[in-house]
Amino acid sequence: MNQIIDISLLSLAGGYLLLIFPLAAMLYLRVDMLRETVVAVLRMTVQLLFVGLYLQVVFQLNNPFLNLAWLAAMILVADLSILKGCRLKLKRFLLPMFIALLVGTMLPMIFFAGIILRLPGWFEAQYVIPLAGMILGNCLRADIIGLNNFYHSIHTNEKAYHQSLAYGAALAEALNPFFRDALRSALAPTIASMATIGLVSLPGMMTGVILAGADPFTAIKYQIAIMIAIFSGTAITVFLAIRLTVANSFNAYGMLHPDILRVH
Amino acid sequence: MISNNSEAVVDLNRLHLSFDGQPVLKDLSLSVFHGDKVTLTGPSGSGKSTVLRCILGLVMPDSGTITILGEPVTRYNIWQKRRHIAYVAQEPDLGTGSVKAVIETPFSYRANAGLRDNLARLPEIMERFNLPKLLLDKQINRLSGGEKQRIALTIAILLDRPLVLLDEASSALDTKNKQAVADYFKQAQNTTVLSVAHDSDWLGFATRVVDMKEIQQM
Repeated sequence: MNQIIDISLLSLAGGYLLLIFPLAAMLYLRVDMLRETVVAVLRMTVQLLFVGLYLQVVFQLNNPFLNLAWLAAMILVADLSILKGCRLKLKRFLLPMFIALLVGTMLPMIFFAGIILRLPGWFEAQYVIPLAGMILGNCLRADIIGLNNFYHSIHTNEKAYHQSLAYGAALAEALNPFFRDALRSALAPTIASMATIGLVSLPGMMTGVILAGADPFTAIKYQIAIMIAIFSGTAITVFLAIRLTVANSFNAYGMLHPDILRVH
Repeated sequence: MISNNSEAVVDLNRLHLSFDGQPVLKDLSLSVFHGDKVTLTGPSGSGKSTVLRCILGLVMPDSGTITILGEPVTRYNIWQKRRHIAYVAQEPDLGTGSVKAVIETPFSYRANAGLRDNLARLPEIMERFNLPKLLLDKQINRLSGGEKQRIALTIAILLDRPLVLLDEASSALDTKNKQAVADYFKQAQNTTVLSVAHDSDWLGFATRVVDMKEIQQM
């Protein structure tokens, strides 16, 4: 197989020309998204440029501690964006969410790197950083869905929740139906994508491995392993995110602290 | 604080409660004794439902004490106290699932593990409240308000609690069913009932009717 061809900066700049079509369509139909699009494209470019520069350094040094620091920083950013996305009170949840994301990302990743890939140095930046990034990104999405579903559903179904308490339910028993629904809704997208993968589109990781010059069969092995790692990571993180935040979210009587939800 | 009467099933002593600076309960005191059927009356917004919710520990009064079966309610014993109470909310929300599952759920809680045999009485109570057996397979959210109320009452009875709190629990029932419910609780001599109601059918069932104004310092 051939090595991947690099894209020269000039050619990449030429690539932006493809934006003419969406922008023209927006102008023609007066879709009010022009500014948003331009800002998004600029942000994408700047953010990725920084990541590219930084990763080049990280890859060259390939120092396990630096790799870990990079992961910790990514997890912290994910943590903050989840709490923002769920409209939940930041202070109470920051630490439990960090733990939920850390375990949800690292456990499947270590399993992947150590047992499936059998990396010689098990913290090789070339493997660990992209894998962790993919798992983390999915954990982030799953936590937003799961936490949102859990806390907002308790809030909207307060009467049913109170009724269970009045029937003598322990806190865990009364929360159980909400926990079950939250986990189901957080896992559903990954289950659906596993069920249709390869039929409609070629998944990102597989495409990347093929472009890098590997045999398609190697690519699908990576894809299968990463899908399982993602699914496992999302289940771990959502389970922990709810379990660990519950302790801080209800008072001694089982009432949800009113300041948990930043409902506007 | 010592309760006014050791025989009281519920003793509310000088409860104060405000929501957003708006007083709801003002120095409220009330004792309900064993076997009593007490009905609270008063205009809407006078805090009747709030009294029931305070007893359940769903709302915490700003000051005052609530004593249930001789022991003041605290954050530590509230979970255990709730096991002595059955509560039927106004327009009850019983969650989702089939009627059968909804009825069985409370009996799956550890606190009610010893009560599973009570489910044997389900057909008898459903018949008493004119609920057809077919209803059990329906989804709870397909039921009418009156049917839901009677299902909630059925669960409350099956839980066999010494104290029953009814919040307008017969508001959606016709006269015949209202009577059936009132008759049931009237003959349950060991059951103490504290209810909130408007209509005169229900007031006839009470052994004591208490106006919210009488028990508070205005």
